[in-house]
Amino acid sequence: MNVMIRNSIFFTLLIHVAAFGAADRQWVLEQSTLTYHVSHPLHQTEGVSRAARGKGACHEGQCDFLIAVPVESFHSGDSNRDLHMVQVTRGAEFPMVQVRTQLPETLAGSETIHADLEIQFAGQTAHYKQVLFQMTTQGNRVHISGTIPATLTEFKIDPPTLLTMPVKNDVPIRVEMIWRSQ
Amino acid sequence: MAIERAAICTLAVSLFVTAMSPVVCAQQSGANQNSSTGQQNQQTPPPPPQNKQETPPNNLPNAPSSSSKPSLSDLGFGAEETKPDPKRQALLDRRTHMLKMHQRMGLITTIPMVATVVSSLGAGGRSTDRTSRDLHVALGALTGDLYGITAYYALRAPKPPGIETKGPIRFHKAMAWIHGPGMILTPILGALAFDQKSNGEKVHGIASAHGPVAIITAGAFGAALLSVSVKF
Repeated sequence: MNVMIRNSIFFTLLIHVAAFGAADRQWVLEQSTLTYHVSHPLHQTEGVSRAARGKGACHEGQCDFLIAVPVESFHSGDSNRDLHMVQVTRGAEFPMVQVRTQLPETLAGSETIHADLEIQFAGQTAHYKQVLFQMTTQGNRVHISGTIPATLTEFKIDPPTLLTMPVKNDVPIRVEMIWRSQ
Repeated sequence: MAIERAAICTLAVSLFVTAMSPVVCAQQSGANQNSSTGQQNQQTPPPPPQNKQETPPNNLPNAPSSSSKPSLSDLGFGAEETKPDPKRQALLDRRTHMLKMHQRMGLITTIPMVATVVSSLGAGGRSTDRTSRDLHVALGALTGDLYGITAYYALRAPKPPGIETKGPIRFHKAMAWIHGPGMILTPILGALAFDQKSNGEKVHGIASAHGPVAIITAGAFGAALLSVSVKF
């Protein structure tokens, strides 16, 4: 009798664990630092935002991620430049930068990932293939870092000028994120 | 007996957890709605309890299931943050246009300003050459006019409310409190000095401050220009 009950408990727990294992996982962006870099012959400028929010939803082995950040949340230490950045990127008309990607759930323990990104910004959508990110896992948290090789022309942004000299077309965006699984 | 109770408890917990699992929920939902259309499925209600924590209460009927792609509303941004604001964009466009003009006119103003300073070498002191003085006056007048236009674009550029001034622009604006009054005072003192010189007198009194005031004004103007051009 006892053996039967023990087996029953074991079997039930097994079902329970299996059900949990198959359950859809969710990811929440816990912390982030996004930094854009602008190059000008007279200046090297960086704008930083820590206001990004993100969520990932996993289903049938695939995880869909969405990260969004308000354009106005980027600060470069110069209020005049920040206002100009919002103007030139049409940030009042299109106030959010949205990044979407889909990754296989099996990548959870990897050290690097290559992600295909879809970025909506300044009223345009650009696609970036196989962007490399470094990944460190600690418990249920994953630290992701990498650089998105964004350019102004992809988003039809007129390069701002200073003393009649335009900034460079390349505006790489450094990404540092900590995701937590639920 | 204790083992039996434990078994019942474990089963109960297991069933509860299994019911909470979205996979099982989805299966249950599918089984319950075999005859429903896809559209009806979307309207059919309550999302799994797990999702209730993720979505705002007022969104419950449309709350995404865990299998759907996340949307902007899932991230908790307020409507004000995500709403397009064409009026603000128009204001920013106007501001940028005016500040670009300010920048352009400021650069153009620099040319006659430097020329005015250079021409002052032959216009003052013991020099009696009237042509040099006239050239200096003409360049000074041109500088003053261009400076006025430059200042107009800066002063009339709209500023969005609630923006705290930060960075080198603060120094740039502070310099305007020096070169602004300087650009008014310099031609007045210059006119006095010109009259004294034309009358064959040695420049004296307050008119003798024309040179130093002009140098301070030009210096403040140059510093203002550099403060937003070169990173210190």
